[in-house]
Amino acid sequence: MIDLRPRKASGVNNWFTNVYRAVWTTCVGMSVTIKYMFSKSVTVQYPDERSPVPDRYRGIHVLEQEKCIYCFMCARACPIDCIEMEAGRDEDKQLDWVKFTVDYNKCMFCELCIYPCPEDCIHMSKEFALVTEDRTELDLDLLSWKGKTPESEKTAPADEAVAETPEA
Amino acid sequence: MNTQGAFHGLGQDLAGGLGLPGGIGMLISASIGIAAVMGAVTVLAMYLIWQERKVAAHIQVRLGPMRVGGWHGWAQSIADGIKLLMKEDLRPGGAPKVLFYMAPALVLGAALATFVALPLSTNIFIADVNLGVFYIFGIGALSVIGVIMAGWASNNKWSVLGAIREAAQVVSYEIPLGLSLLVPVLMHGTLSLRSAADAQAGWAGMQWAVFTNPFAAIALVLFFVAALANAGRAPFDLPESESELVAGFHTEFSGIRFSFFFLAEYAHMFVVSAVGVALFLGGWHLPGLSLLDGTAHDVASAVIFIAKSWIVVTLMMVIRWTLPRVRIDQVMSMGYRYLTPIGLFCVLGAAWWELYL
Repeated sequence: MIDLRPRKASGVNNWFTNVYRAVWTTCVGMSVTIKYMFSKSVTVQYPDERSPVPDRYRGIHVLEQEKCIYCFMCARACPIDCIEMEAGRDEDKQLDWVKFTVDYNKCMFCELCIYPCPEDCIHMSKEFALVTEDRTELDLDLLSWKGKTPESEKTAPADEAVAETPEA
Repeated sequence: MNTQGAFHGLGQDLAGGLGLPGGIGMLISASIGIAAVMGAVTVLAMYLIWQERKVAAHIQVRLGPMRVGGWHGWAQSIADGIKLLMKEDLRPGGAPKVLFYMAPALVLGAALATFVALPLSTNIFIADVNLGVFYIFGIGALSVIGVIMAGWASNNKWSVLGAIREAAQVVSYEIPLGLSLLVPVLMHGTLSLRSAADAQAGWAGMQWAVFTNPFAAIALVLFFVAALANAGRAPFDLPESESELVAGFHTEFSGIRFSFFFLAEYAHMFVVSAVGVALFLGGWHLPGLSLLDGTAHDVASAVIFIAKSWIVVTLMMVIRWTLPRVRIDQVMSMGYRYLTPIGLFCVLGAAWWELYL
């Protein structure tokens, strides 16, 4: 290896040493940069391709609406009150959903709403892209349907909702 | 051997067809030549800017421009050019108008004028200047005046510092540059790039100056270093060292005037590379070229010449992204204490080699 310690700048011998070091260190540097030039770039072309998101990532919420029993545990656990829900009961005592919103202007993605859920129906997904041009659009509605429970949902849970959960 | 430029016949034919005297024909052919050089150099510089960004990016394990134009961002330079054209043309308060507006034109003009003496092959050239090497570096040195003008007219002390650095650096490195150029000139016995390149003809390719004379090989390295410094390329980009002087002499220039400096830098890079190739690396000669003849020979020559110059330019780019910028005292020390003695040694050695071996 080449000695890179500073030396006294005098003497003919030193002159030749300096020339040698200048050429040699340039060659070493060039070999490194050329090696990197032909190595694979680490850049991820973001909107087209995405880096993998960890399994426990806390992205925006996913609600398994057919399992939800409207118990307010998540809304009560929320330290900043960003979850709001509203539903009634129809004549069959089925839930009649009006709204279930999470205000992502406020949400700090603490995951505290996930743990108290007795039905394990609210989850955090890997989705993180929340860019909008208008803040009001960040008050997201998690309901996949509104009004009375559809007949199909009364017996079997919706496939899409299950597929979106992180545990799937 | 054709002794008239590529556009000479065209100009004469046009003038003859319109019934104009031969002098007008010369004027027409010169105008076509100027237009061709300007167009070619602009496209070339735009390509080189894109390539520099790609080289820089890949050395840093990035991708560089990838969006504009689809394939690997090939149109990025065009987009940048349009952006620069449409930007506001600012002049700092208190800046002398004439100097400020003249500086970028002078710098770009000097860079463009050097291309005229650059032959692409034995028969493809614009003007066969028999003092080609001298002309190119004489005209190229004119850009220093433009740079000093730009630095002074910016009404900005950092710009003046950058301009002074450029002047000091370019004038200092003219000496080793000239000495290193003397070596192939001694060997080929000509200052014309066309004759010098043709003096290195040979089927095996071993007639190149670097292979026939060991002192020419040293002189090539010397030439490369001095040319880097002369073109103001890293690691000798002191005049525009962004960490100290923002952008040096072109800090205050915006829009199209800034792009003039930018184009000039890349044009200069290509010219010095092409001169190096013509004098040291056999010009357009490559083993097997003599198998072709006629137009195919000329076209192949031009392609080979441009390809060789491109390799040298790419090497300059890799150097830029390899070495850190040197200090100004190191630049001066290198020029005077190291390169100049080596240059003198090379000239003497080459002369001795040519005379006695």
